[in-house]
Amino acid sequence: MTKYKKFFIKAKEENLEALELTIRKSSNFSFSFFNNEIDSYKMSDSFKISARGIYNGKIGTAESEKFDKNTVDYIISRIKENAMLLDNEDKPFIFKGSKSYKKKNVFNKKLAITTAQEKLQKIKSLDIKVKSASDLILNVETQYHEHAQEYTILNSYGLKLTSKTNYALVYSSATANDEMGETKVGFAYRFISDLDNLNQEEFAKEVVEKTISQFGSAPCASGKYKCVFSPSATSSLLEALLSNVSAEQVQKKSSLLADKLEQKVCSSKVTVTESPLKKNPFFRYFDDEGVATYDKTLIKNGVLKTYAYNLQTAYKDQVQSTGNGYKSRGKIGIELVNVAMKPGRLNKEQLIEKLGKGIYIDDISGVHSGLHPESGNFSLIASGFMIENGKKDKPVSLITVAGNIFDVFNDVIAVGNDLNLQFNGYEVPSILIKKIAVSGK
Amino acid sequence: MISKKLAMDVLNIATKTGADFAEIYLEEENSVDISVDNGKVETCNDSLTYGAGIRLLKDLQSVYGYTNDITAKGLKKLANDLSASFAGERIIEVKTIKKVKQGKKNQPRIPYDSYPREKIVEMLKQASEVMKNYDESIVRTTASFAYDIKKVSIFNTDEKQFSDARTKGRAGLVAIASKDGKIETFYSAPGAQKGMEYFLEEIDLNKFAKETATSAVMMLSAIDCPSGKMPVVIGNGFGGVIFHEACGHSLEATSVAKGLSVFSGKKGEKIASSIVSAVDDGTIDGAWGSGNIDDEGNKTQRNLLIKNGILNSYLVDNFNGRRMNEKGNGATRRQSYKFEPTSRMSNTFILPGKSTPEEIIANTKYGLYAKSMGGGSVSPATGEFNFAVNEGYLIQDGKITHPVRGATLIGSGKDILLNIDMVGNDLKRAQGMCGSSSGMIPADVGQPTIRVSEITVGGTGGEINND
Repeated sequence: MTKYKKFFIKAKEENLEALELTIRKSSNFSFSFFNNEIDSYKMSDSFKISARGIYNGKIGTAESEKFDKNTVDYIISRIKENAMLLDNEDKPFIFKGSKSYKKKNVFNKKLAITTAQEKLQKIKSLDIKVKSASDLILNVETQYHEHAQEYTILNSYGLKLTSKTNYALVYSSATANDEMGETKVGFAYRFISDLDNLNQEEFAKEVVEKTISQFGSAPCASGKYKCVFSPSATSSLLEALLSNVSAEQVQKKSSLLADKLEQKVCSSKVTVTESPLKKNPFFRYFDDEGVATYDKTLIKNGVLKTYAYNLQTAYKDQVQSTGNGYKSRGKIGIELVNVAMKPGRLNKEQLIEKLGKGIYIDDISGVHSGLHPESGNFSLIASGFMIENGKKDKPVSLITVAGNIFDVFNDVIAVGNDLNLQFNGYEVPSILIKKIAVSGK
Repeated sequence: MISKKLAMDVLNIATKTGADFAEIYLEEENSVDISVDNGKVETCNDSLTYGAGIRLLKDLQSVYGYTNDITAKGLKKLANDLSASFAGERIIEVKTIKKVKQGKKNQPRIPYDSYPREKIVEMLKQASEVMKNYDESIVRTTASFAYDIKKVSIFNTDEKQFSDARTKGRAGLVAIASKDGKIETFYSAPGAQKGMEYFLEEIDLNKFAKETATSAVMMLSAIDCPSGKMPVVIGNGFGGVIFHEACGHSLEATSVAKGLSVFSGKKGEKIASSIVSAVDDGTIDGAWGSGNIDDEGNKTQRNLLIKNGILNSYLVDNFNGRRMNEKGNGATRRQSYKFEPTSRMSNTFILPGKSTPEEIIANTKYGLYAKSMGGGSVSPATGEFNFAVNEGYLIQDGKITHPVRGATLIGSGKDILLNIDMVGNDLKRAQGMCGSSSGMIPADVGQPTIRVSEITVGGTGGEINND
């Protein structure tokens, strides 16, 4: 860490009260096959230093991907200039450190030492399996992404923390044309720590099944339906709901969960936890302010148990930071890591059976535009299946589901046990809800 | 950023195992973000992006890598690592590099780095004040400003060197209104590839602020949007996001080349109503999505995508062009050196027609007027799209009546284009950030007011009641 000493010396010379550096070194390796031929291969190493400093009683920030003889001057001068512009009343924080940290080794050595050649062979074999699983499949693309990162935080109070993580993601998508000549796309993905543990046959079957099962899909009649949301759909809706847990949103009067602590905000079937210390690709044992993270229950049997705090918002509410301070473009915002919903007893089929007559929503999209976290209202394009007599029936596409996220989570009748880790880091099951407005034919 | 000699060395290392093309893309970008929350300056951040991407092509295969280490050692190591993915003999060698002269469009008259930040802050505080004072239901405002100054250099095995300077600035205004337990948010975000002159002379940010607050407050009194199929009049400007999502993405060679787009193999065929013509134009001076050259060094162009309903052109990059037997048409873009470039939109819009917006509304017995659109998304393979209506109104008997909330428009790109039955004369462009495989890039969307005879509208207000 001696190469970062210069920053702290300069900060002192320039009368900064405190300085914090975070250094992110990452490397990526990815490739993809298209119809069994390799068509893309990528590798990279990158570095970013991100600094926050207290000057004149305010926090100034600057970041740089360049590290040369001018970087120290650039960072310190920008911090000073930017701090002078601020005029909010927020108390600035650079953290002295938590009492203890639950550091774990989550770096997967086997993944790191497996040769590129071996990874290529295994993914090619998977791509071939998907392509040959059905004559109906026209195109297959299979991708492998591996990411490794070392994240370090250093500050002028002597705090020094490092975390090293890596993971791989395998993703495969297929297209096929149905009898009407309509193109259908299906995909599947897995976060993996060991390529040998991926069941290729099962994975290939899932991709193909997801594609072909959509043949002949059409909008259903508009109306209110009893409904099961898949883990993927549930995770998108839950993420929007939990954006209201941010203490910053609450303090700035734009959270729908303001003044709702210890009150029932969801159905009693809903229990949601945040487990940053869970050993998976999203593991964090300290947040971007250096506060030790810990596992906690956010919503217990429908009752809101806590808001998520960083140092600044915690100070305002006279509580402790919950270790949820994460940085974006210099600013410490509030985020949740490794959110999970407590599973129920029924598997997906049993949940559908319990549903009886209604609709299974497999996929929703357009969340970034069709869902307003501030109001909780959403109207989203969706696809899935009709459910008749407790069994999957005709495929449905080009419909919208609309409502309010709070109504959805209030209307939960049952929670499945089919936990699934999603792209957004949420590990959630399917949920059965009383009703949802569907717009179709 | 690097010498010609070093560029040649790196290109020759990259091609030693048989690549038929190699390219080095270097970038240095200074970005500044300022944000004012409820009238107080909350953040001001400087960020320096710096790095190089190297791409190798061999037939239909591409290899890409990037690094922040733009020293001879760092670049040669990357080129060497990348070349290891091919196992053949050298087939090309770079012996010289010639600098290609570019146009000098999109250059700022009042550069951001020489304009005092205090004055930008002042402008944002004023706009916040305008929003806050508009109505007592406004509970929170944010006003932000971001600019970046980017220098790009490209060297390739065609023995060419290109460079471009790109400066853009954008303001962001958000008004949050709350009343009786309801919260409505509205935003606007004007920007251009120009300097401060755009904000000082060409637009009035306070006017945007007032419109933003007006719309947020207006939506508080909105009724839930009815659902079902109905005629939809889509407002000009950002309404063009419909064309961007429903059609533009499916015309990118990224999906067309592999036969993964609904419009693959449809050139010369009718894909839209005959009153629809549309272009992608990267040459408009100072426009949000413009450039002198694209990220492969090709000159940007005005590409006529659809001519009177007939598919005329795709957006093509050199690499995907190999599968299509077409050359790149200036449409190759990327967010930064961290992304492999591919075909993308720049400023994409439907050309104006003959109707006035008033005529279009008056000719609609019942339907939805989507005055202001939010974002959306599309699956290029199926052409299925969805997007949100930020500010919508019911049209009843040719007149605009109630504001409605929660409307989403969904459908398939190929149907909606064929169902456009009126095109207005009030073309306007608006700024957006477009995300796809080569990252987030600035892109203008645009259109005149148009009417689509039938779109599925999703909403919570139940079935349409046509009485």
